[in-house]
Amino acid sequence: MKINPRYYPAIIIAAYVIFLLLGILLGFGPERGGEGHGNSALIQIAFATMETLA
Amino acid sequence: MTTVIREKPFSLAKSRRVIQWLAVIGTFVLGLRHIMPGEASRGGSFDSFCAFGGIETLLPYLSTGHLLKSTNLLNFSVLIATLGVSLVAGRAFCGWLCGLGALQDFIAEWTRKLLGERHHIRGKQSKAILPLRLPAAVDRPLRYAKYFVLVIILFASLYTAFPPLREFCPVRAVFSLKMTPLLWLALGIFLAGSILVERFWCKYLCPLGATLAIFNKISPVRLVTDTNHCNNCGRCDIECSMGIADVPINLDHPECVRCMECLNTCARDGSLTIQIRNKENVT
Repeated sequence: MKINPRYYPAIIIAAYVIFLLLGILLGFGPERGGEGHGNSALIQIAFATMETLA
Repeated sequence: MTTVIREKPFSLAKSRRVIQWLAVIGTFVLGLRHIMPGEASRGGSFDSFCAFGGIETLLPYLSTGHLLKSTNLLNFSVLIATLGVSLVAGRAFCGWLCGLGALQDFIAEWTRKLLGERHHIRGKQSKAILPLRLPAAVDRPLRYAKYFVLVIILFASLYTAFPPLREFCPVRAVFSLKMTPLLWLALGIFLAGSILVERFWCKYLCPLGATLAIFNKISPVRLVTDTNHCNNCGRCDIECSMGIADVPINLDHPECVRCMECLNTCARDGSLTIQIRNKENVT
């Protein structure tokens, strides 16, 4: 399917914004108060699941 | 009497230039923001907005549960966004959204102007002597250097406290406004390299570009050549900032940054089109 070149910049920007928001929603958000050493909620669940399975 | 309203012709090149300027200004603002007092209270260091920082800190994070210093979880979101764009449109991040890539395009353009090219004519070889195109025998082996840099950095990230590229990173050298002697050196090499060879950093050294190269082969949004229309005039080869040879048959080349300059330059309507990959147009 052909895409009108007019829409190409919008596709790129939309993809970037959507995936950025997805990342933030997954818990990889900016941290206040300096460098982060904590885990995102997603990673905590993943680690907990792995520990349970082990 | 009827009034004919003519639609203003759309220029992909102008849109790209606007987005590139926004990328440069945005990255500069991030740098400016971090020389202001109270940096830590505003979402982390300059490094935490870097997509490659996400790659650098990924292995230590998975192996120890701790991030490298100066990175934070935001790096992963920026990395996911960059990978997302690449998943959709190949290395379009490099050609459209990367501040450093944009700066290299500007430097190449300014260099040509300074060296006598007043008006650039699309598809015509520039009269300016710089930036150079290295001979294939030199250029081709050098292109593999960025994959070597990527492997070294991934390995080093397991043993370092800070992201390994941090002290030599040209993005920090250009935009972070916090200079060290090593960053001055990186800035000098970056500027000299970009004047000598168009997109020097992207072609030979960028580890993020090396990571994204694979996506050109799998992304659904891609350029397609219609061999019935293309007459192999070579205008697109001249205009390619990444120096890809025989562009019409190498549209999925790992080096392509999807800048669409070939499409802008093509004089034959329908020779190059942007398409969504399907079974019929997979080459």
